[in-house]
Amino acid sequence: MNKQIANGLRVGLTFGIVNIFLFLIKFPVIAGTIIKKIIPNFIVALFPINPDILDILIFIGLIGIWAGASGGRKLDEKSDNWLTSFVGGAAAGLVNALLIGALVFILGSLTDAHVKINAYLAAILPAVVKLFLLDQNTLNGSLTQFVFSFVAGALGGVLGFAFRGQWFASLKNKWNAAWASLTENPQIKKTFARPIARIALSALGIAFLLFIPQIAGKYWNYTIGTVGIYVLLGLGLNIVVGFAGLLDLGYVAFFAIGAYTVALLTAPNPHHLMWNFWTTLPIGVVLAAAAGILLGIPVLRMRGDYLAIVTLGFGEIIRILATSDLLTSFTGGPRGVTAIGQPTLFGKPFSSDTDFVYIIFIGIAIAIFITIQLRSSRIGRAWEAMREDETVAQAMGINTLSHKLMAFAIGAALAGLGGVLFASRNQFTGPEDHNLMVSINVLSVVIVGGMGSIPGVIAGAFALKGLPEILREVQDYRILIFGALLVAMMIWRPEGLWPTARRSMELHSADPEDPESGEAKTSEDKP
Amino acid sequence: MKETTLRAKSSKPLSAYRLIQALLGALFAAYLIWRFYNVFLDGTPSYGADSWLRFAISGVVLGSVYALIAIGYTLVYGILFMINFAHGDIMMLGAFSGYFVFEALEKIPSPVIDNPNQVFLNAHPVISVLLAFIVGATVAAVSGYFLEKIAYRPLRGAPRLVPLISAIGASIFLENAALLLFGSQRHDFANPVQITRGEGWNIPINGEVVILPYTGVLTIALSILILVALYVLVQRTQLGRAMRAVAENKSAAALMGINVNGIISRTFIISGALAGSAGVMWGIHLGLVYHMVGFIPGIKAFTAAVLGGIGNIPGAMLGGMFLGIIETMGPAYLGMSFQLKDVLAFSILVLILIFRPTGLLGEVLSEEKV
Amino acid sequence: MTIAIETLGLTKIFGGLVAVNNVDLTIPDKAIFSVIGPNGAGKTTFYNCITGFYVPDQGSVTFYGQPIMGLSPDQIMYRGIARTYQNIRLFPSMTAIENILVGAHSRLTTNLIDAIVHTPRFREEEARALDEAKRLLKFVGLAGQGDRVARNLPYGAQRRLEIARALASKPKLLLLDEPTAGMNPNETTEMIHFIRNLRDELGITILLIEHDMRMVMGVSDRIAVLDYGSKIAEGSPAEIQHNPRVIEAYLGRNASEAQN
Repeated sequence: MNKQIANGLRVGLTFGIVNIFLFLIKFPVIAGTIIKKIIPNFIVALFPINPDILDILIFIGLIGIWAGASGGRKLDEKSDNWLTSFVGGAAAGLVNALLIGALVFILGSLTDAHVKINAYLAAILPAVVKLFLLDQNTLNGSLTQFVFSFVAGALGGVLGFAFRGQWFASLKNKWNAAWASLTENPQIKKTFARPIARIALSALGIAFLLFIPQIAGKYWNYTIGTVGIYVLLGLGLNIVVGFAGLLDLGYVAFFAIGAYTVALLTAPNPHHLMWNFWTTLPIGVVLAAAAGILLGIPVLRMRGDYLAIVTLGFGEIIRILATSDLLTSFTGGPRGVTAIGQPTLFGKPFSSDTDFVYIIFIGIAIAIFITIQLRSSRIGRAWEAMREDETVAQAMGINTLSHKLMAFAIGAALAGLGGVLFASRNQFTGPEDHNLMVSINVLSVVIVGGMGSIPGVIAGAFALKGLPEILREVQDYRILIFGALLVAMMIWRPEGLWPTARRSMELHSADPEDPESGEAKTSEDKP
Repeated sequence: MKETTLRAKSSKPLSAYRLIQALLGALFAAYLIWRFYNVFLDGTPSYGADSWLRFAISGVVLGSVYALIAIGYTLVYGILFMINFAHGDIMMLGAFSGYFVFEALEKIPSPVIDNPNQVFLNAHPVISVLLAFIVGATVAAVSGYFLEKIAYRPLRGAPRLVPLISAIGASIFLENAALLLFGSQRHDFANPVQITRGEGWNIPINGEVVILPYTGVLTIALSILILVALYVLVQRTQLGRAMRAVAENKSAAALMGINVNGIISRTFIISGALAGSAGVMWGIHLGLVYHMVGFIPGIKAFTAAVLGGIGNIPGAMLGGMFLGIIETMGPAYLGMSFQLKDVLAFSILVLILIFRPTGLLGEVLSEEKV
Repeated sequence: MTIAIETLGLTKIFGGLVAVNNVDLTIPDKAIFSVIGPNGAGKTTFYNCITGFYVPDQGSVTFYGQPIMGLSPDQIMYRGIARTYQNIRLFPSMTAIENILVGAHSRLTTNLIDAIVHTPRFREEEARALDEAKRLLKFVGLAGQGDRVARNLPYGAQRRLEIARALASKPKLLLLDEPTAGMNPNETTEMIHFIRNLRDELGITILLIEHDMRMVMGVSDRIAVLDYGSKIAEGSPAEIQHNPRVIEAYLGRNASEAQN
């Protein structure tokens, strides 16, 4: 029992601190607006309170229940019962509630004293504090918050026990069985394994993809296009990071080269070359690939982890140069380049957002084709071998430098393609389109989706680029969530959301026969 | 021992690549000499002696801040063989802590007869500055400890890419947490009036006056103090010995009864404290803190660590100093726009890693890590 | 007699430590030649000097009359030298067949364009390589295990897979680094037969580092002994067995005096 209480207090402290952080960045308010979208209005209307406050309460309540459930979690088989779970949950809830209550009380008192908190804590405006106090005065509001979180914690402890119990386990089993009967059914498997079925499915998929842009509106086509460009970039970086194992943080440089190539060659300013889009497209791709090779030759001889920081440095150099006065006459400087040329088809403009979706789809198809073909070739094997053990790979006759360069160049070419399409579609490009965050975004797409996995990259792009478009409220929090996500993924699911079977195994090496499997390299025996 | 392995690898008989390297090196040296002629000997110099002194002063101040941050990279790299990407952001947290301490002290009245409006900050500048450093270092140290515990420790023994990505994630998280908490505007560091930024001792030179800023002297003095203390800690104490043992060989150290995880935690605490102090110095001397304040100094300090030879503590100090001076004097010497000083620093990083990856003083890493 | 590999005055220094000191070795074509010595005698460093991972500080290495010193490891592999490692270093998450195919890398010639387009040349070469890999798998007694992931294979199988991977490059010289480490006597006997087979059936010259004296004496044509980086003896197994300097190196001065 004491152990359970201690655990509860510890969990409560962690949750309380996290909650304080979330309150200070006013996350509960944002979460409330998201909840508003999910929960139908008529349910909200059942409760006789301000719906804004109700949404916040739902969020805080859910977190409180989570805190209680972890506080009352099963510590050992023997003493796991209703009471210990309840006590653990209540302990966690108590600490959590105390911290929340105290925070809200302090914020309320300061606001009452007319201290301008938002001079220091940007999110804490008086209106936000009012919401935190649930529209009541400082004392009542913080007391309500306290009681609410405490009750949620205690409830969470009990609920946690219930979900650990028999009936939930049997429910889970039934669900699993139903799922298995569907996916493991030999009849269904056989049907899907037939070549005709596969072709039919692919044809259906392609038809669907061709059809989507026709029904989607302008806004959605724009969003799909953005996600598609990130899929393209992700597939390119996937070859560099996922296949060859080279962590490139300056990937945006190649994107920028593609974008600026099309911009400078087709725009009226600053050079007035006004070339045709279709001529500049291959030029952009080739230039990006060439830049990849040129940068790669010196950089790829380095030890793996130096690569990350050097590529980061390169990306920054390019960005600083693009904004500096030095190149303003050449690149348009900080203001960027406008009125970039757009594609035409048979003399007619082919440049609406819908048209671009098709062009981007073709780009993605090419990228997928290249990825698949290379994966099962001598070069793909060499990449994989290099990633697993570079020293041995070299001893097997693999010229590591030239294979790294190949990966770098292909990745750069795809980034260049992405840049060309991006700049042309937006009819604008400027230094701010090419900051470090683009590299980080693409890296997140690859990592979250699953390194080396094509569906993973697509899923990752939709999750990271598409979801925030739907939930516009979280825009400000997007990058914060990426950061947390990268850490969390590395700890719990380094193989990504949709991993290749191989990678999943590589990163969860629980094979007792190979105690050293985790180590990247074993040391050479030294005299 | 491993140093030589590396050197042996790079001392292969003249390949085309080595030849190009040597050629480029020679060209670069020739360019530097030509610039020397241009800047100092040829007709009217573009910068007078006073300007050079000014550059040198700000270079040394910057350099001593870089040195403090660089040591954090070197200590962690020496032990875990990973780049602690979030190190610059730990510095940022230290800077913000110092800022809040000064802001709070500025709100506490401490009236005297001839100045009834005086505040604590100005009445007790020594205590205020000390307090800022203590709080800054502590907050940064605690953040460093939790950073390691949450983001790196669970990944011990995973393939190398994994902790590196986690570190990048942690860095992004910290930056954006600060952005959301403290807003995107730049906060002005309220120094005690005795060390107002821009004021200092006047040094007359060539009929011009060069200011030796109080804040700069404070920064240099404090950082020398901290560096000496660190050197004693690493070389003379039980903890320092244990740290070096863990850096040399983790499993052997564990067999000798050293608590490896404990030592790693302490390494993060120490490097966090150093970065935190550097952050407070940054704020006091340069005046502005914001969520990205640690990003560029972080990369530059990493450059400094590589420059001195990673794993090598005196190397990091020297590298930091060198980089600070290059950054302030370099653009003038090369006749570049000062806008491009960051490009210069990053170019040095790239050049060093290409031509001499073991740094100027050589790396101190154990064999298993190379 | 054709000479497979010859080192002259090979020296490698780490810091102040002379790891390999002025070693002259001449290994005839199609020989099974062993290098033995106590722990830390510099055997593996000697291997690393031959395979290009270390550049020796002095001396020369010639392979069938061609100087190979200063070449990178992959170039040396192309000349026909393959190796295995003391602590097995397979590509742990690749399958057995894939490991062998990586070993065959130096013998395949398809380039990037072939690989992307899957030209007929590419398909034909891949098919041939796959057949060859299966044959090798059978040769080392792992037939049918091709799709198993390397790290899940039993220890002995991993050893043999590592040799198969080295053989896939069709080497003229094979360097084995303690191939029987961690094996029981039965497995060791099998390995002796296996190594003989390699030489007799495939005509490969074999350079062997070994600790297990039974193995060394049983399989070698000729033996060289390293101690503190220097060669202290060379000769047939029988000569080595009775060489007092060798006994001294292995058992210490007292033991050799006692025997005298």
